[in-house]
Amino acid sequence: MRAYRGARFYPVDSAPIDEGVMLVEDGKIVGIGRDIEVPANAEVIDLAGKVVIPGLVDAHSHVGMWGDGEGDASRDGNERPGPITAEVDAIDSVNPHHVSFQSCREGGVTSVMIHPGSGNAVGGLCFAAKTRGEVVDDMVLKAPTGLKGALGENPKRGGEGKDSPKTRMGTAALIRDFFARAEEYGRKKERGKDPDPDLALENGLRVLRGEIPFRVHAHRSDDIATAVRLCEELGIAFNVEHCTDGYMIAPFLAEKNVVAHVGPGLSSRGKVEVANRDERNAALLAEAGVKVCLVTDHPFLDVRYFMAYGGVAQKHGLSFSDTLRALTLSPAESIGVEDRVGSLAPGKDADFLVLAGEPFSYKSPVLSTYIEGVEVYSRIDRRGG
Amino acid sequence: MLAIVNAEIVPVVGDPISGGTILVDGGKIVAMGKDPEVPSDARIIDATGRTVTPGIVEAHAHVGISEQGLGSEGSDHNETTDPVTPHMRAIDGINPRDDAFREFREAGITTALVPPGSANLVGGTALVLKCAGEIVDDMVILDPAGMKAALGENPKGAYGKRQNKAPATRMGSAALLREALFAAKEYADKRESAEGGDGDPPSYNAKHEAMIPVIRGEMPLRIHCHRADDIVTAVRISEEFELDYTLEHVTEGQYVVDLLAEHEVRCAVGPTLQHGSKVENRERDFRAPLALAEAGVPMCFTTDHPVIAGQFLPLTAGIAVSWGMDYDLALRAITLASAEHAGVADRVGSLEVGKDADLVIWSGDPLDYTTFADVTIIDGCVVHERQV
Repeated sequence: MRAYRGARFYPVDSAPIDEGVMLVEDGKIVGIGRDIEVPANAEVIDLAGKVVIPGLVDAHSHVGMWGDGEGDASRDGNERPGPITAEVDAIDSVNPHHVSFQSCREGGVTSVMIHPGSGNAVGGLCFAAKTRGEVVDDMVLKAPTGLKGALGENPKRGGEGKDSPKTRMGTAALIRDFFARAEEYGRKKERGKDPDPDLALENGLRVLRGEIPFRVHAHRSDDIATAVRLCEELGIAFNVEHCTDGYMIAPFLAEKNVVAHVGPGLSSRGKVEVANRDERNAALLAEAGVKVCLVTDHPFLDVRYFMAYGGVAQKHGLSFSDTLRALTLSPAESIGVEDRVGSLAPGKDADFLVLAGEPFSYKSPVLSTYIEGVEVYSRIDRRGG
Repeated sequence: MLAIVNAEIVPVVGDPISGGTILVDGGKIVAMGKDPEVPSDARIIDATGRTVTPGIVEAHAHVGISEQGLGSEGSDHNETTDPVTPHMRAIDGINPRDDAFREFREAGITTALVPPGSANLVGGTALVLKCAGEIVDDMVILDPAGMKAALGENPKGAYGKRQNKAPATRMGSAALLREALFAAKEYADKRESAEGGDGDPPSYNAKHEAMIPVIRGEMPLRIHCHRADDIVTAVRISEEFELDYTLEHVTEGQYVVDLLAEHEVRCAVGPTLQHGSKVENRERDFRAPLALAEAGVPMCFTTDHPVIAGQFLPLTAGIAVSWGMDYDLALRAITLASAEHAGVADRVGSLEVGKDADLVIWSGDPLDYTTFADVTIIDGCVVHERQV
């Protein structure tokens, strides 16, 4: 057993604890509080003056499958051709030795949900993993965790030549058609008619049966409204990825109980669909009552700078506690892994960060990252050589 | 006259002044100190408890020329019809109504060097401008401010890969760059001889004309290079032709820091926050700026806007401090060092009497993630005031 003692702890789901103690055994948190008795056999780690927060959870990432200076060789995010590639599974594109997992540990991200890209109207299965390991199957936290969908500019760009979609209504029609075929496929199976096996429709059925949500990429407010329209029509669980114009229709999204995965942060406005990007988005959504998760969309925001993105969200009006929650417990809930990660509480995985000071400042770099009680990153002092 | 009073002044040159006053007249700083006399008719801005720094300077930003939110319609920085286009001028591609100028002002960025893109081996001339105005010519403080050149992946990608023409390799790029320099040199020599009565002048060539100041060492060649081998090639060619030159990006600078120190090469490092979009920027982070700073190589930060939105330049310097960079050096690397890199340090980059009145009143520590530029002043005019 180990006792981490003396730090200020931000458990996220309960009040901050000054000069607290956290007990860790077999990769789990077994106790946390101010007046916790430290067993005699426990190894005590003195963290006086430091701050401890849960490991960050990034609900929209492409780590292990995209970018980080590998050029075309690692572009494994968007399967082509065809706008419906519901049969693919992100887990089959992920390389645990990709440098982005080291970046996660440096940036304090201990859990990620990895998505296929947004080039296709239906892109494939998402899954959640811890950011440490040699074999991706051993890293899995939960799989699958959703089916990726995309609206707006990206799927329109994907089609070759005369292929659909060429318009926003074309993309919506493809998605409707896909789920209609999945429903029919399901009916045939129920009637014992054994249709030809179809992996894509099988994954569509998982969404229709409520096993996993549809996670829909949408930036512009009209695309976000289309996501809501489609999913309500189909009666499926969903959330909105990026949600860039969400602040324009925040009360509508609150009324619909939409969960917004807001990001990537620190971004410019390269596409027309992000022309109205506003740094206050997360704050305005939260104020309206929308559940907000901040996301990196790594590699589009290098995951090493996730905390800085939190700082920017806080600067533009998201409260300190909402910011912390948007980086930890809210994404854990959105992924469906809040029983394991996202806060510091007995019974949860010992995934946590030791910071030099209060979060969201350059003065508070991540000193150590722990996953299931194991220190997986320790800050390197790069001065002097 | 404008007076900023009760300020925590961080002039970048010289010691900080606590509770100080800055007097501005005619767009210039006319007095600065503990208590210079404030004329009774001066407009007063009370900066009690707030930090005042020079306006932030972006040494390499495609603001106005790679416009935001317009997709390909706003893309005017790469004339990809010919890999050698020294006769392009960035000033002819800039739209002052690009919304990014507003974001720059809101972030305390008052000056930017705007180069053409890096698709071409020689891309055209850069300029330095102030980040407020309706007519680009009125915003200029230095034009031309250098000739853009590029090595590494971008020219290969734009021509060899996409158009099946030269350059297709790094050595192809170097050969074309040498050829352009050599042809311009020959042209310049011929013209000079003709002016001295020796032979006929060469027939007019817009490209060679544009390269004359470069070949004479009167204007820097600003060379895009990420990988260490590209950095070395940039130094090799520049030294061969005895050019004045700067390096742009310098992502793997840490591997060749001795060479950069030996030649005292001016380096604009960044975008450090960028994702590894290419193989050549695989190593981008803060190791290069830390190593360069430690070795005394003149360096500044850049976001390469819109690669990273320019508004995050101060945040970049903050992250550099979290990686171990000295605070004063990090602040200098987005103000005076950037101005020196851009060739406009006589006008901007520090708070000194006689310099342009470009300054920022901050809500807190200028490098911290949660700090706002409360007031941004360019040439003595308030161009941004945060509504609270």
